[in-house]
Amino acid sequence: MNTSSTQVRLSAIGIVAVCLFAALIVRLWFLQGVDPQRFEAATESNRLRVIHEEGPRGRILDRNGRIIVDNRTTIVVALDREPLRKLDDAERSAVFADLADTLTDLGVPTKLSTVEGRFADVRYSPQENVPVADEVPEDVELYLAERAARFPGVVVERRTVRTYPYGSLAAQVIGYVGESNADELAKVAGDAAPKAADGTPKEYRPGDSFGKGGIESAQEAVLRGVPGRRTIEVNARGEFLAETERVVPQAGDDVWLSLDLDLQAQAERLLAAKIKSLRGQRSREGTLNAPQGSVVIIQPGTGQVLAMASYPSYNPSILVNGISTDLWEQLNDPNSGQPLVNWAIQGAYAPGSTFKPITALAGWRAGIIGPDNEYYVDGGTYRLQSCEGEGCTFQNAGQKTLGEVDLARSLAVSSDTYYYRLAELMWLNRRQFGDDPIQDVAVEFGMGKPTGIDLPGEAGGRVPTPTQRRAEFEANPDVFMTGDWFTGDTVITSIGQGDVLVTPLQLAELYATIASGGVRHRPQAVFQVTRPLDPAAPPGQPGNFEIVRTVEPEEVGRVEMGGEFYLRVLAGLIGVTQDDDGTASRSWASSPTAWVMGGKTGTAQVAGKADSALFAGWGPVASGIPPEFAVSVIIPESGFGGDVAAPLAFRILAPASDGTLSVACTVAAAAQCREEEGRAAQASVADVGSGGPG
Amino acid sequence: MSGDRVVAPVGFRSRNLGDPRRHVDVVLAAAVGAVLLFGLILVYSATRRLDGGNGYVVRQMMFAVVGIGAASAAALVDYRKVADWWQALYAVSIVMLIGVLTPLGTVVNGTSGWYRAGSIALQPAEFAKLTTILAIAAYLGSVDEVDLRRLAGALGLLGVPVLLTLLQPDLGSALVFIVLGLGMLVVAGVRMKHLGVLVTLGIVAILMILNSGALDDYQTERLTSFISPDEQSYNVDQSQKAIGSGGLTGYGLANGPQTRGGYVPEQQTDFIFTVVGEEFGFLGSSLLVALLGIIIWRCWRAAQLAADQIGTLLCIGVTCMFLFHIFENIGMTLGIMPVTGIPLPFVSYGGSSLLVSFVAVGLVQSVHMHRFS
Repeated sequence: MNTSSTQVRLSAIGIVAVCLFAALIVRLWFLQGVDPQRFEAATESNRLRVIHEEGPRGRILDRNGRIIVDNRTTIVVALDREPLRKLDDAERSAVFADLADTLTDLGVPTKLSTVEGRFADVRYSPQENVPVADEVPEDVELYLAERAARFPGVVVERRTVRTYPYGSLAAQVIGYVGESNADELAKVAGDAAPKAADGTPKEYRPGDSFGKGGIESAQEAVLRGVPGRRTIEVNARGEFLAETERVVPQAGDDVWLSLDLDLQAQAERLLAAKIKSLRGQRSREGTLNAPQGSVVIIQPGTGQVLAMASYPSYNPSILVNGISTDLWEQLNDPNSGQPLVNWAIQGAYAPGSTFKPITALAGWRAGIIGPDNEYYVDGGTYRLQSCEGEGCTFQNAGQKTLGEVDLARSLAVSSDTYYYRLAELMWLNRRQFGDDPIQDVAVEFGMGKPTGIDLPGEAGGRVPTPTQRRAEFEANPDVFMTGDWFTGDTVITSIGQGDVLVTPLQLAELYATIASGGVRHRPQAVFQVTRPLDPAAPPGQPGNFEIVRTVEPEEVGRVEMGGEFYLRVLAGLIGVTQDDDGTASRSWASSPTAWVMGGKTGTAQVAGKADSALFAGWGPVASGIPPEFAVSVIIPESGFGGDVAAPLAFRILAPASDGTLSVACTVAAAAQCREEEGRAAQASVADVGSGGPG
Repeated sequence: MSGDRVVAPVGFRSRNLGDPRRHVDVVLAAAVGAVLLFGLILVYSATRRLDGGNGYVVRQMMFAVVGIGAASAAALVDYRKVADWWQALYAVSIVMLIGVLTPLGTVVNGTSGWYRAGSIALQPAEFAKLTTILAIAAYLGSVDEVDLRRLAGALGLLGVPVLLTLLQPDLGSALVFIVLGLGMLVVAGVRMKHLGVLVTLGIVAILMILNSGALDDYQTERLTSFISPDEQSYNVDQSQKAIGSGGLTGYGLANGPQTRGGYVPEQQTDFIFTVVGEEFGFLGSSLLVALLGIIIWRCWRAAQLAADQIGTLLCIGVTCMFLFHIFENIGMTLGIMPVTGIPLPFVSYGGSSLLVSFVAVGLVQSVHMHRFS
């Protein structure tokens, strides 16, 4: 039987038990009753993952709806850093080393330092997956997916990247897509984000794709899709349990370029063949290096760019998964010709004789030449009236003696002395005509500043004036020899030499303006923006798209050219190809266009280098028929314009003029294209020229 | 019993006041049954994602059937007859505790505490708890006054399993032995002076063990993680999130996100309380705690009502064992006790634990039922 002492001691145990239970209940209430939301939030961050999905970028098409830039899916190995942070340093290093080794063994060379660098990359938000390997084959995806426990925090994702059915075609016009950098993100942060048609902002997250260069950059706001997201519930091992929320991403709009892919392909193919055939040849001035070259074809009357070829080119697909430092240096190395540069809008060259119509208009407006006094006897040299001694005599290129020339003939046979005289007379009478009557006309034609084409990075060229030279000298007296402007400066400016620089696009615009009687249009590369009705069907298929925006031609100015002047200039520029002694007549005859072309050759001298070859012109030239093509060809360090540039222009346009242009080849049909390229190269190399400068 | 007029069939319902079967503690039995059902539901929810919710629950039910049988047998046999066998039972369990340290034992989570044969696993420490209670109850309950020699003897009976479980190392079970031993010593009438010295020595010993490096790092960490909550382990963190997010009424059965996602480790065994916390909220958790409280209360009451000191000590040993299991296990999931691998009686999945809990309750019932004989 129990004693009273035992009862007391039992009671003590009972009291302890009651206290312990009370403690449990109090603690339970503290956790569950006081502020359960705090824990709910904690468990949500535990189990809910938000996966951000970029909307597919809009595609880029040519004017006929052929796809130049498309999208495809690639498999990416990425790190989900949430579970990785829970591991201690040694465990994490082991996972990373295992991952790098495994990927390398599976044929995806991966450095441990890359994986560790990506894990520590602060540009990604903590919840975001960071990519460590791109373009992995499907068996790697399978291998990793089956071993989720061995690779905690390693996820395999499918992403959409660019694909280029025509390879390098129009590469510099298109640009490329890369991972956004801090500067780009800053530009589109917050309210600055572009918006879809319905007003949904196309927000960016670090690591999102961003257009770099060309149309991809210029049309970023249009091409970008509206991002979506998936919220998924995962278990403790990061395995998928259920989808709790889904915002479907929307594709960006499709951009149609004004380019005609067939003409673009023809221009690129022949330009490349021409440059390859020229390289290494010797000329009087030195070796023909032909480091680069451009062909621009625009439509007079609209300004639409039909072809824009820049050599050398590159295949943008090599940039799809980011750019290594090595590759970037190679692409920007002057020795490799800087293939990323679009020389057609970023290269600036002395226009040489292609500039002469501008000087002619200035002289006509000054009244120095006119219906009654346009004749001049070209004796091969011109001696400045205002100057005595050596250096006062200027020669025709090639020391030719051209005899009696008028305005038209001065263009057809490319007399320099005709323009030297005009220039000197204008400069000597500058009280009457002003310091820069020639430059004023050049500016009227759009020289000296960017044309405003809808492509980024355009150069403005250069129209030198006495005022500008003075200002530059005063700003940097150590750099320039003099701040003074001499008669000779105006004289060489008159033939597009000296400090005058134009871009191939400006030159094409100049001749498009002449072709349309002085009406200037802003060059434009984008033709329209559309949205497909059935995303699965080809975006350019008739009836499968709605037009979001049409880019209308934009007139930006009119250059007043009196009727009489205009007729004479036309006669001269037609004479270039049609007169027996026109500077481009022999080459036109060897590959004639179906209709008559007008134009002007140019051979610009560059100190210490071979001449730059230029040709600019348009066709058809006939009354009552609107001009269709204005072309400019510039190849530096390549020889005479009549030998190199003009034949190339005619070769490119000849099939376009009679409808025999061959269809642009896709990468899939590459073998067939190489054959064609070989034939074109042979024909191009065999081209005969005028045999002289001008 | 009347010879002529039979009112009720003899044997169907005994009218003898001394018949132990008339004195079953129905409240205790009902509370155990309720907790067992509750536990089955929780095991179902915790293991649904592992096997669809069948394997574990069915096995646990089979263990329960065996356990109920064992409890009934233990209840019907007079505990004094069982106590007569204490030396043999104690010796067998000590041999098993030694054996489990040899290669015969299986190491699970760094602890060599299991015998494994095929799919059956046996945890000798669980059975040793019962035999130790029985041994101390019999050893101290047979004398009127506990002198120092008796005390030393009892401490010896207690010390051997404590040492052997520490060697596994199974800190949690060692603590259970110490606590139930202490409770029994208090009730057995050990003089307060002696108890004071004992507790002081115990504290000194614990500090020495902690500082000697005899404990594995993980064990020290478990203990210190409780003292410094900033460095709480993942388990405790997830466990508190699960319980806390349950709120007042919980997410509902099989709907707890933490449970569904498997965020709480060992959820069907040591951390099973997180399931009730998350899915049934404060109301469900309190109900379970209350049911467990009823079990403690009835065991304690049986100790009070016991016919002799052996019965009292037996019951108080079981009470202290359950009390420590419950407080340590739930306290651990609530973040107020260190993490040890101690199961929640009748709730946690596991055959050894369930069987021992049933036998323990059976012994208490035996004390309760045989208090008039």
